Amino acid sequence: MSFATRVDEALADRNLKLAVERTAGTAEAKRTLAVDAFPDFDAARDRAAAIKDHVVANLGHYLQAFEANATAAGAQVHWARTAQEACDIVVRLCKAANAKSVARSKSMLGEEIGLPHALAEAGIGRIETDLAEHIIQLSGERPSHIIWPAMHKTREQVSALFKASHRAPHEEETIAAMAESARRHLREGMLAADVGISGANFLVADTGAVCTVTNEGNAELSLVPPRMHIVTAGIEKIVPSTGHAVHLLRMLSRSATGAPLSQYTTFYTGPKRALDRDGPEEMHIVLVDNGRTTMREEGLAEMLRCIRCGACMNHCVVFRQIGGHAYGGTYPGPMGAVLTPAFDGLKQSRDLPNACTLNGKCQEVCPVRIPLPTLLRGWREKSWREGLEPASLRSGLGTWAWFARRPRLYRAATATALRAMRLMGRSGWLTRLPLADGWTRYRDMPRPTEESFMAQYRKGRRS
Amino acid sequence: MTARADILARLTGTATPAGIAAEAAALLIAPERPRVDPAQVEETFLARLTLSSVAATVDRIATLADLPAAIARYCADQSLPLTLCVPPDPRLGQCDWTGFTLHDRAAPDEPAALAIARCGVAETGSLVFETGAAAPMLPNFLALHHIVVVPQVVAYLEDATLPGAHPRAHYWVTGVSGTTDIEGTYVRGAHGPRFLHVIRLG
Repeated sequence: MSFATRVDEALADRNLKLAVERTAGTAEAKRTLAVDAFPDFDAARDRAAAIKDHVVANLGHYLQAFEANATAAGAQVHWARTAQEACDIVVRLCKAANAKSVARSKSMLGEEIGLPHALAEAGIGRIETDLAEHIIQLSGERPSHIIWPAMHKTREQVSALFKASHRAPHEEETIAAMAESARRHLREGMLAADVGISGANFLVADTGAVCTVTNEGNAELSLVPPRMHIVTAGIEKIVPSTGHAVHLLRMLSRSATGAPLSQYTTFYTGPKRALDRDGPEEMHIVLVDNGRTTMREEGLAEMLRCIRCGACMNHCVVFRQIGGHAYGGTYPGPMGAVLTPAFDGLKQSRDLPNACTLNGKCQEVCPVRIPLPTLLRGWREKSWREGLEPASLRSGLGTWAWFARRPRLYRAATATALRAMRLMGRSGWLTRLPLADGWTRYRDMPRPTEESFMAQYRKGRRS
Repeated sequence: MTARADILARLTGTATPAGIAAEAAALLIAPERPRVDPAQVEETFLARLTLSSVAATVDRIATLADLPAAIARYCADQSLPLTLCVPPDPRLGQCDWTGFTLHDRAAPDEPAALAIARCGVAETGSLVFETGAAAPMLPNFLALHHIVVVPQVVAYLEDATLPGAHPRAHYWVTGVSGTTDIEGTYVRGAHGPRFLHVIRLG
């Protein structure tokens, strides 16, 4: 399905607009309050960006340090060049553990590498333990947001899903009762799982620890009872020390949900120790490249700063109209529009960098100062250079350029177009416009002024 | 080539380990953070606990000998039986638990679990724990009521981090298990505790 078709479907969905607006709007308001209460937030963003740049510049050094320290703590470290290699490692480990079921704590890297699909193909049962991931597992969908994956679902839809699949579902039609139903249902699965799988918010090089952050506590309940803990993490998740993680945690939670800190922040270092009462017997960490070294080499190193907070999408005027699914990749919104061409290829996803107004709001709120509009423009230029834009667009721009280089002709043509548009929009609005039906399908265009900007400017300068 | 060798071959650099370490250390000099008044660390911690994002109830005791009475008060307030999951921590041996039914393995639907935090953090209202022989992790996530003794309070998250080798898990609890995953509505007790009761010791 093309991007345009997905956008058409999203815009036609009345529930979606309301659901996205409600959640993203709340997140935006809460972030503003959190930032206002942190006077040095802007300087803290500079430091956060500098920490990430330092890590990306010295990535090989830190990955080896992390590997040595995690191994010393008893964990086993694996390396994967591609999504396929990463999935193969996880499936092999699950099979070696004779795992019938795995409990998975939400991880965007897991989605990126297609881990849910790989586990299903291998015949390994999977329960998603984050409440939103549980909802979309039941509905057979993909996440529509990196923090609130089920933001597109209404309470009525969630209720129907739970009633169809939970053994003792809620009776009262309240959100609290639905959450309670999921609590009962998921707890059984988490305590019975053979393997717990998580991502990592941070990999701490000098201790070998893996840090996860949740508000629900589902990571801990998914990772402590099973006999094996598998982590899949992108190689850019490294931080030099816990102190560096602390600085980025302050930025992450404020930017994501507006909280000073998420409810549960856990640093896991190796498997269960000899005298520990609980914890897994084995811990495996899969370090995943999947295009990150290429991004570092080919002008997208700044994108490797991303700490997956979701602030860019919460503040994006395009995301708030079309939601996450229309983007078609694992990652939606502005960060997704930069990442998806890197993961899936520009040819398949060249529409995404174009679905941007370049208003710069994403860059303004990014806690690690990623120049998202610049990176999006970079993809646009590459798409043009590689001839990926359709012939109609190339010839249209060629025609415009031909006129633009002939100012008299250009002015005459715009004056004629203005007269025609004023005739067509006598009521004050244009409801249809040749060559611009993509615009007028969803909104009317105001009737233009009698004269073009340039004509008015010239008159103003003369007077 | 192995995946490891392939990936590392593309990440070579010229910086020396000492140079990298110096740069990393420089990045942590005077970090920006919400200021905690050194004279108000205790008050700030207690105020953070009552924020809606943390939503803990608070009691105070002078010594651990007062702990059973404080827990009995909380259980009475919450209409809970005097049944408690307690960690095998020798410090709790000095308490008189007459009237309580204690156990040290948490049930899947455990009503209440007791834990001793290493410290509290004024900056965020967080409670800091480490796993060990006397400190299992699972009861703190299974129980509906999480009752936590806090023997000391530090100002910032950095003060709570551990130097040197780490235990299996080092974790910070900042409130109760919560979710906003259905229509953005906040619900307490998503998976873990729905209630957090802090008992400040000393």
